[in-house]
Amino acid sequence: MRRWFDDTALDSSVVLYSRVRLVRNWSEYPFSLRLSDADGEEMVNRLFQCTDGWMDEMGRPYQKEWLNRLSELDREGLKERRVLNSALLERKAPMGALVSEDESISLIFNGTDHVRIQTIFPGLALREAFQLADALDDKINEKISYSFDKKYGYLTSFPTNVGTGLHASTLLHLPSLSKGKKFNNLMAEMGRFGTTIRGLLGEGSENYGDLYVVSNQKTMGQTEKEMVDVVNRVTLQLAGQEKQVREMYKKSHKMELEDEIYKSYGVLKYARKLSMKEAMTYLSQILMGVSEGILTFREPYSIYSMMLGIQPANLKKLSDRPLGKAELDGARARYIREELPELK
Amino acid sequence: MLCERCRIREANIKYTEVINGIKTEHNLCAQCAKEMDFGPYSAIFDGEFPLAKLLSGLLGIGEETQEEKSYKGIVCPVCKTSYDDFVEKSRFGCQDCYSVFDPLIRDNIKKIQGSDRHVGKVPKFQAESIQNQGEETKKQGPKKELTPEEKIAMLQARLKEALQREEYEEAAVCRDEIRQLKEAAQEHSENGMDEKESETDA
Repeated sequence: MRRWFDDTALDSSVVLYSRVRLVRNWSEYPFSLRLSDADGEEMVNRLFQCTDGWMDEMGRPYQKEWLNRLSELDREGLKERRVLNSALLERKAPMGALVSEDESISLIFNGTDHVRIQTIFPGLALREAFQLADALDDKINEKISYSFDKKYGYLTSFPTNVGTGLHASTLLHLPSLSKGKKFNNLMAEMGRFGTTIRGLLGEGSENYGDLYVVSNQKTMGQTEKEMVDVVNRVTLQLAGQEKQVREMYKKSHKMELEDEIYKSYGVLKYARKLSMKEAMTYLSQILMGVSEGILTFREPYSIYSMMLGIQPANLKKLSDRPLGKAELDGARARYIREELPELK
Repeated sequence: MLCERCRIREANIKYTEVINGIKTEHNLCAQCAKEMDFGPYSAIFDGEFPLAKLLSGLLGIGEETQEEKSYKGIVCPVCKTSYDDFVEKSRFGCQDCYSVFDPLIRDNIKKIQGSDRHVGKVPKFQAESIQNQGEETKKQGPKKELTPEEKIAMLQARLKEALQREEYEEAAVCRDEIRQLKEAAQEHSENGMDEKESETDA
């Protein structure tokens, strides 16, 4: 089964994906916090009925799941692939999901809000992702009436989502820009444009893999289009600057750059144990190598899909027995050794 | 800016750490700051900030405990979420919470969102139901009218928040309104007009 992140075009760009999320609530029910399990189950069933027979953009049926009946490992896997967030992962109440075959579209019912629409597109395609989410929103709205207030807009469980209920984000790979001294200032300055940037992996100020998420900070006071546009503009800016820094470094330190990238390839190809942090650090180098045309694989391969593949739940899922911490690092090294294509 | 730990609440505490000459800055919300271990400084985050307490004393809301109870006691009649629940979880229980707690939260929403007015999309397929909702709220209007005590409690909550944000002009406005309401209530009782019967159930 091909998923959206298997797209090999992903690696050629600094922007790995564009993602839009809309949250809505059904006016007939209290929000999830005050919704009993019985009523929650009834609501999810009704939402499944409303969406019965729906097809995704490619004309394929959605996969229907009761998330609360899935194993912990499967749920964690969905979180690693960004279908669920950590709040939804923890949630025990009856929760439904419709997920497109390539996992680029997902509808979550009775999560933190009653309806959560998410669309992910490879590369920079925020407007397209929003258009699709917007269309799905209308399609659901044909069947159910939303909690809406003239002043506050779409009413959501958290007041931090009220208004548009929109979260527009992009994932950027910024290995060169993030090394600069001014990067921290840049991150702090992002608020002035109504956007935030944060490292994707790692706790606190630590970040590995050089992956950064840019998203809108506020959900009210602007139209959806304006919010999407500002994230789009900031993303383009950052991507442009990353490219510039890379070009400069390529000119002045060609040998060092190639050395770092090839060494990383060597480590990944032969290591017997790799922690998440180590693997992500080296994969970040490989991703840059591919994107800059320094490394060419014999057959096309998406490094971003490998970044997802080496996450704990996915490795545990692939294994036929439970894995301890040390074994997990071994399994990760093996996965990379076997998957990483030969060079041309 | 959102709290870097929970990413839910607004960060209102800037914490600078210097370890071996390396300086790192953290932006946290009060709740997360309270949960973290700051050694001898943890006491700062336990309960109220001393500064706010000092100022609230000066502005004449000394008997915090009882009054605090009264606004914490405000409960959404539809889903039974109290203001206290909301503060604890940062989440609402139903769509009606927005109108019930509006006087208490509108400033915060404006602060978090930079605006308190939605200008985006409007649902395409519920024009009728939106009108109906409007009528419903109208119908419910008199029922939801706040008693002077509740108004005072709400104003006190806003006063307290204004003090924590160090917005003294707003605090002064709240203080004056509270004073007026209290005086009005006193006159009422002095004139012997007890109106307790209207408040049966919410």
